[in-house]
Amino acid sequence: MHWDVISNNFSYFLIGAYPQGPLGGLAMSILLALGGIFGAFWLGLLIGLMRISKSRFCRIFALVYTEIIRGTPLLMVIFWFYFLAPIAFGHTLPEAESALIALIVFTSAYIAEIVRAGIESLPKGQSEAARGTGLSRLQAMRYVILPQALFNMIPSFVNQFVSLTKDTSLAFIIGVNELTKAATQVNNRTLNAPTEIFITIAVLYFIICYVLTALSRRLEKRINRYQARDR
Amino acid sequence: MRRLALFLVVAALVALAATPALAGKLDDIKARGTLIAGVKDSQPPFGFVDEQSKQIVGFEIDICKALADKLGVKLETKPVTSSTRIPMLTQGAIDLVAATMTHKKDREDQIDFSITYFMTGQKLLVKKDGGIKSVKDLAGKKVGSVKGSTSEQNVKKAQPECTVISFETYPEAFLALKQGKVEAVTTDESILVGLQNSDAKPDDFAIVGEYISPEPYGLGLAENDSDFRDFVNVALMDMWTSGEFQKIYTKWFGKDTKFYIPLEWEMELWP
Repeated sequence: MHWDVISNNFSYFLIGAYPQGPLGGLAMSILLALGGIFGAFWLGLLIGLMRISKSRFCRIFALVYTEIIRGTPLLMVIFWFYFLAPIAFGHTLPEAESALIALIVFTSAYIAEIVRAGIESLPKGQSEAARGTGLSRLQAMRYVILPQALFNMIPSFVNQFVSLTKDTSLAFIIGVNELTKAATQVNNRTLNAPTEIFITIAVLYFIICYVLTALSRRLEKRINRYQARDR
Repeated sequence: MRRLALFLVVAALVALAATPALAGKLDDIKARGTLIAGVKDSQPPFGFVDEQSKQIVGFEIDICKALADKLGVKLETKPVTSSTRIPMLTQGAIDLVAATMTHKKDREDQIDFSITYFMTGQKLLVKKDGGIKSVKDLAGKKVGSVKGSTSEQNVKKAQPECTVISFETYPEAFLALKQGKVEAVTTDESILVGLQNSDAKPDDFAIVGEYISPEPYGLGLAENDSDFRDFVNVALMDMWTSGEFQKIYTKWFGKDTKFYIPLEWEMELWP
């Protein structure tokens, strides 16, 4: 076994060539995941709300959006954005930004469905009562429906976010220097320690995903307590 | 529906308007002050990340550095993969591609090539005492290669009676050779040399045979920019005649390196 390869390159796996060069490795994966989670949540929420909106145009747009994105492999979406961006914006997007947009767009379609299901699963009486107190549709959604529905959605969100975190590894096909790419670079240079390198990478991915699920469990517990007190 | 149609029309118009304008690359580079080269970052010794400095270094980077010096500009490297290098070049994100790209006729539709700056080809890596000297000896034997590579198809064409076993990566194919699961591993010589020297006892193995298929590497250049192409070609030839090219070659492929390949070909020189 050649575990010295891991110790010699461990800082490269963690932060890439930073600070002498561009950021990479695990740090880049985490940045992509965090950016993806943040963007996908808000875009997904918007699309999800459009799905149940009163306007027919909004509903159809959201439906077509989710169906097209859900019916395309993520690998295609990443490629597609990378090669379409110059045509759409007139200049090339850096690889990392392009991959981030693709991850956001892809995951938002799934988030939208979670949001729709979460809202529709609440008893109708909730929105009727809220409207009965004189709140507008928007206010009812903001102050009564969403706080309850979003809480119910947390397990599904976490599922999707963990999956997004692992999906960042696909960004390596367009040359984003994230963890998988860093591993390939080191593996191709040393050639004698593929098993050790990829075990290390798997452990690193596991750790970030585990931290994410552990955090969400704590969040759920805290909200649970808060809700119980209110009741 | 009308609004959707309008949106599509506008999108199409934007796409048309955004088609990159054709200006001379040479002027662009000089005005910018940097030559942007698309290079490999995981293909030693052509382009790879150095363990100590963590910067991209390699044979192709040094070639590009020499070109940049001739222009009096700085070199900026941008990592590319085999699937992104041609689109990035046609979109103008990079000025040239120096990324182990074989000069193939069907690539000429999209981009132009410089003269050949590296000549390699497919060979066989075998155990020294295995008794295999060329492709002919492979009849009825098992050969290891990598899934989806051209090497896989070429060896089958050269010796229809061999069995090709495909692995995910070259190190795996090499491991199979060491364990006796295959009698030979076949791919580009430059990769085989690296595999051989990654072993603790490289002398137990040998690279044998004639080139099964030649792989001339050329620098990829944007289509129809003859000023820039002329500059690159003349610069490469100047480097060859001045000995600068040979110096760079020896630095990466010389006797004391892990990738020793004797310089057995000559650059095309125009009188």
